[in-house]
Amino acid sequence: MSGFEEVNYYFRKAARVMDLSAHVERMLVTPFREVKVDVSITLDNGELGTFIGYRVQHDNSRGPMKGGLRYHPTVDMDEAQGLASLMTWKTAVVNLPFGGAKGGIAVDPKILTPRELERLTRRFVHQIHDIIGPQRDIPAPDVNTNAQVMAWIMDEYSRMHGFSPAVVTGKPVDLFGSRGREEATGRGVVMALEEYLHDAGQGEVRGKNFAVQGFGNVGSWTSRFLHDKGGKVIAVSDVRGGVLNRAGLDITRLLEHVRTTRSVTGFPGTEAITNEDLILLEVDVLVPAALGGVITEDNVKDVRAGLVLEAANAPTTPKADEILHQRGVVVLPDIFVNAGGVTVSYFEWAQNIQQFTWDEERITSELSRRMREAYATLSRLVRERKVSFRTAAFIVAIGRVGRATVLRGV
Amino acid sequence: MTNSEAAKIVRTLLCRGLTNQQAEQIVNAMVPTTVPAGGAVFREEERAKGLFVLLEGTVEVVKEDGGTAVVIASVEAPSVLGEMSLITDRPHSATVRARSSCEFRLLTRAQFDRLLQAESVAAYKVVATLADVIAWRLSRMDEKFVELSRRGEYPRPVEELATFKQKLFNEWNY
Repeated sequence: MSGFEEVNYYFRKAARVMDLSAHVERMLVTPFREVKVDVSITLDNGELGTFIGYRVQHDNSRGPMKGGLRYHPTVDMDEAQGLASLMTWKTAVVNLPFGGAKGGIAVDPKILTPRELERLTRRFVHQIHDIIGPQRDIPAPDVNTNAQVMAWIMDEYSRMHGFSPAVVTGKPVDLFGSRGREEATGRGVVMALEEYLHDAGQGEVRGKNFAVQGFGNVGSWTSRFLHDKGGKVIAVSDVRGGVLNRAGLDITRLLEHVRTTRSVTGFPGTEAITNEDLILLEVDVLVPAALGGVITEDNVKDVRAGLVLEAANAPTTPKADEILHQRGVVVLPDIFVNAGGVTVSYFEWAQNIQQFTWDEERITSELSRRMREAYATLSRLVRERKVSFRTAAFIVAIGRVGRATVLRGV
Repeated sequence: MTNSEAAKIVRTLLCRGLTNQQAEQIVNAMVPTTVPAGGAVFREEERAKGLFVLLEGTVEVVKEDGGTAVVIASVEAPSVLGEMSLITDRPHSATVRARSSCEFRLLTRAQFDRLLQAESVAAYKVVATLADVIAWRLSRMDEKFVELSRRGEYPRPVEELATFKQKLFNEWNY
């Protein structure tokens, strides 16, 4: 099952609990608009390069649509569709005034020079500028796109429509970006965990041990926040492999090691561990923070963690999710846990609209408030309706999007 | 009535595409039957015998409605009755009674199947004609359905959005 099929699987599961009619289900799943455009540029060697760009806008009943732009060879309409709907549900779970969108260009950016990448990005903006905008659809960084790409988009869009920093988020801090955006997802992940621990009467992060798979943006920031709060991160990994120290890793020194060697492997004072074995460690909390589909029906029986904190998107397959639920292992779902990223994107957008910058303290406290409120709603639903946190998250999202839709009228 | 006279009627009624020879082949496969006035040709719910060609006389089509017999049509010769029994095994949907003394030719399902098995072109032409008749009836039924639904005799569609709204604001307001 691919990522977008999983989105629809969980959506349908929630829809069944809510007993929605097939027609309503179909109305909620069907995207608002799908756009496919030609993105042709002159390559540096003078040849013509033609790529296909996509943008799917899933739902705008709760506000302008929001979602990443990825540059990857596998990007297509199906993938964009599923991920766009996931953004609709995610923004609804944390109650942001946004709908969902997703898109990108089917291209391997590693084969392009920086100049070509800039031309490609600007050309793409030309092709979609009339369907995006601060009040229509606000792209953000995603796979293989970064703050620089967002800066180009903002610049190109502003040339056509006048000064519009709010057309994209995830911009460089020196160009209308927000403080705290970089670490937002990791910060949100730890906030989600703290809310759960407090609610379940399991104390705090201090003293608990963790295994974190993935040490990119989300994994490294999550590890750092856990470490700062007294948590014992005993294992982390990246694509090259992992490191384990049962007494707890010194995350500050590990970050330094990664800066110089570009990998966690070979960190002094640790033993090596594979990505597969890391998933099976006996820890209080397992944090998949990299790839999707790492907890599957094949390895789920050996997962010994007491809690799964989904920092990555779709790390647990539906079958494995079902089995964990039956075993009583709590899974805090991606759609809520990693929503800190899009939440701070919302703050960036709000600051751009206000032309007023917030300090880091305000970012953190607003993020905390939203994660807390979202958790409280999910927790109430889980208790009252005896459903998993994931189903609860979809029910909350469907409810919010559905109410906005019927109040507007069809 | 002689076989060749009957063949002319069969050709007119069943299939204009039949040659005289083919029409005679069909008629030869048929059994002559007579029914006196007031007698039943076949009864509702009775297993269908086959296709009846009414050569002479008048019959009435009667439908049982809660114990009383209601005449829903009367049919004069020359005409065809029970043609669907060549294609399906369903029982007759109405009773047919002779109003006057009637002369028929009956083509049984078994005889017709034998003709088909022998790859009789005549029999295939008859099947093609029946298909045409069914298609025409189906399109009439579609028109009738549209007409009836416009009249509001069918239940109105469920107000799905209203149900959805009710559900979201009352039952699932989180």
